Amino acid sequence: MRFMLLMIPQGYCSAPPDVQLDPERVKAMMKYNEALQQAGILITLDGLHPPSAGARVSFASGKPVVTDGPFTESKEVLGGYWMIDVKSQEEAIAWACKCPASENEIIEIRRVQEMADFSDEVREAAAGFAEMQGRTARR
Amino acid sequence: MGKFNEELVNAGMMEAGEGLHPSSKGARIRYAGGQGRASRGPFPLTDDLVAGFWLIKAGSLDEAIDWMKRAPFGGGAEIEIRQVFSAEDFGDALTPQLREQEERLRAQAKK
Repeated sequence: MRFMLLMIPQGYCSAPPDVQLDPERVKAMMKYNEALQQAGILITLDGLHPPSAGARVSFASGKPVVTDGPFTESKEVLGGYWMIDVKSQEEAIAWACKCPASENEIIEIRRVQEMADFSDEVREAAAGFAEMQGRTARR
Repeated sequence: MGKFNEELVNAGMMEAGEGLHPSSKGARIRYAGGQGRASRGPFPLTDDLVAGFWLIKAGSLDEAIDWMKRAPFGGGAEIEIRQVFSAEDFGDALTPQLREQEERLRAQAKK
């Protein structure tokens, strides 16, 4: 089963566009990343620039409306994510618990949807999705 | 949405894309005193929940915005666009050792 571990650092919502990371914290996190990799469960991982450097496109009026970051109404924003492949949600939770995260950080665990999770009708509408994933331009 | 995804792939921009199960089936880990503790979803107190994502390669934030404006969403949905960190964003903080470790991890994770 594939799971996303969504890193939510409190306070990142108001971080400046040129936010600087603490090398010691990066080192500790890299050790954790290495453990995920050595366990053979790491699919991908990325860190995200702060919302102050980003934008939101909302579709509330049926038309796309663009708002530049930061997003003052959001208290929780993503700082980055891991995607891992494990046997169960319990295993995903156990791995997240091992993360050297700070007290201001939360990791949310969410299972990735697979085609098998959907009805025949949805699967039909999504025909070609798996091939599309195979054709995506990985680095 | 399949049509929109197809356009992204054909434009050579799509790196990845997934949908996520609802938070009612998920969990959150909080860290206090160096110890991770899990609580189960749903998470009613949060105003924004992630339901899925695209990872695309674009020349600029504006190009990414232009693409995501074309996503076929009705009312209610919102897409947040955030740049992914690259090694060059870290400058000197990324020591040669950390850079080597990062590159090795990525190469191995891809397998």
